[in-house]
Amino acid sequence: MKLTRAGDLREIDAEVISRDGGTMRVRIGDRQLTAEFTPNADGGGVLAIDGRRYRVFGARRKDSILVSVGPASLEFKPAEAASRRRAHGLAAPEVIAPMPGKVLMVMVRDGDLVEAGQPLVVIEAMKMETTLAAESAAMVKHVRVEEGQMVDHGAVLIELSPSPASSVRESAPRVE
Amino acid sequence: MERPLTKLLVANRGEIALRIIRSARLFGLKTVAVYSAADAKSAHVGAADEAIAIGPAQPAKSYLDIAAIIAAAKHCGADAIHPGYGFLSERPEFAQAAADAQIVFVGPRPEVMAALGDKVAARRIAVAAGVPVVPGIEAAEISATREFAALVGYPLVVKAAAGGGGRGMRVVAQAAQLESALGAAAREAAAAFGDGRIFVEKYLAHPRHIEIQLLGDNHGAVAALGERDCSIQRRHQKIIEESPAPGLSGAMRAKIIDAALKLARAAHYTNAGTAEFLVEGDNFYFLEVNARLQVEHPVTEMRFGCDLVCEQLRIASGGKLAEPAAPRGAAIECRINAEDPEHDFRPATGTVLHLSVPGGPGVRFDSHLARGAEVTPWYDGLLGKLVCYGANREEARGRLVNALDEFALLGVTNNAAYLRDIVASEQFRDAKLSTHFIDSFFSGWEIGKPEIDAAIVAAAITAGGAMGDIPSDGAALPLPAGAERRSPWDSLKNFELWGSRR
Repeated sequence: MKLTRAGDLREIDAEVISRDGGTMRVRIGDRQLTAEFTPNADGGGVLAIDGRRYRVFGARRKDSILVSVGPASLEFKPAEAASRRRAHGLAAPEVIAPMPGKVLMVMVRDGDLVEAGQPLVVIEAMKMETTLAAESAAMVKHVRVEEGQMVDHGAVLIELSPSPASSVRESAPRVE
Repeated sequence: MERPLTKLLVANRGEIALRIIRSARLFGLKTVAVYSAADAKSAHVGAADEAIAIGPAQPAKSYLDIAAIIAAAKHCGADAIHPGYGFLSERPEFAQAAADAQIVFVGPRPEVMAALGDKVAARRIAVAAGVPVVPGIEAAEISATREFAALVGYPLVVKAAAGGGGRGMRVVAQAAQLESALGAAAREAAAAFGDGRIFVEKYLAHPRHIEIQLLGDNHGAVAALGERDCSIQRRHQKIIEESPAPGLSGAMRAKIIDAALKLARAAHYTNAGTAEFLVEGDNFYFLEVNARLQVEHPVTEMRFGCDLVCEQLRIASGGKLAEPAAPRGAAIECRINAEDPEHDFRPATGTVLHLSVPGGPGVRFDSHLARGAEVTPWYDGLLGKLVCYGANREEARGRLVNALDEFALLGVTNNAAYLRDIVASEQFRDAKLSTHFIDSFFSGWEIGKPEIDAAIVAAAITAGGAMGDIPSDGAALPLPAGAERRSPWDSLKNFELWGSRR
């Protein structure tokens, strides 16, 4: 099965090869490892891999799985969404709010041609400004928000379409 | 003049509101929390003797609404207000409004706050008191700023006159960026402080940030409670603070403390405050005074064995400053923030699904978090402060590494693993401290490969239901009585994270 880490388009290819009680053999990419899981009373557990023990917790949230390993926190998502996007010849066909906040500035209008890395929108959350830029060259299909508007996490701010000047397939950015 | 206080309203939220309530109770005061609609279920609301709703989630209509907070204080009969840090803590008009309502403001007098809290005015006071300052200009016009830039050279730093904690600060590397940086800094300053005035300073190459904790009573006495080194910053926001400042000579420490006391006396400073300095080689420069309690004050408390909030309350009720005890040992604090250290420290939100809090000797965790607590986008992303004390720096550092290893927070992406790697690093062990520490040693940080492998396996187990005790978002309820628990692994037929069992 394939999954991605939130905020990272690279696919992780992994599968459980075999399982015996709490012990499992897992393939990650072209590597294999043995992991032993012991549940704890606190809802998490201890994972032993290669002689190291990790305290882990996990929970599902919407289409994500959230996991903590020691002090580290990670979020995984299914890979299908990311590969669908690449089929459009764009790194991302939509500019999505990475967190809830206020739209401070919109720098583009419908029909604008933008370069990879060009700033599109500035949103403000937790008193910090975050600039969202185009991940690849594209045409602005539709700006869905206006300045001053509050947006939710995951809201579509701008729709993009492939830049008409370049061939879709040839210009598809390699994100892996 | 002694004026015993009876009831304290805490005009803040999060960890600091909780921390102030704890000390106020110790001091013998009744406590009142105020809260916005987004914080109705927050820890500080439950901790206080009374709680009053003051408005909607937007800070401007709640925690920054002076009229609403003063009305709440009058309504409940509070005779004192503690502003905490951030929000209204450095707004002279808030201190004045409290005074006008016959309510004691736990902080400096409004006129002192106006003079020192404004960074431009504070620079002028420092110069008059003979305290060295970084070369700078009040950025009224772009042309004058360009002239100043030509004189001292790039890089420069743009700051908010009303700022603090790095808010509204921008480094300008070259002339081409100057105008847009001034605009962005002014916008951020206006949004965060309601005051868009900015000024520009020369950016020092490798300074350390060293600050002095000050206390002043209403009888003219001022005292310094040692220094804190807050050099470990990311984009001008402190993330790790410690005391004493490693490697600082006794002579240098004495000079900086002397300058801080001079400033405090020149300004007739009262209550708690902090004088911040940049130190480079044998030179030090006054930066600003934070006319309030600092986020990192626990570092000083651990070394001096004192409670700075109790000291503030004693001073506010007319008490005299006691001679500070001699400091002992070393203390280090780190700030656990709701942000993603692997993706440009993007702010994170969410509901806390699990929290493991470290313990043991010399370990203190100041936080408002609990399972089920919601981290919203409305406020600062500080989730908690982990502070460790030791007989010396190495012991404090070792305890902090252990404490961070014990820490776990599921549901809100945070920087705990990043902090752990910094505190455990040889660069931090060897105290290679400068404000560019992060850029020099910890840019491009990532979670370790073995941890990612473990996380992938843990994700599979979670998908299979073996870690199903932790409720997901919106379902923070225990299993109903008699509900059958799935036994671990039963449902894990294969690595089908988003299969039919979704």
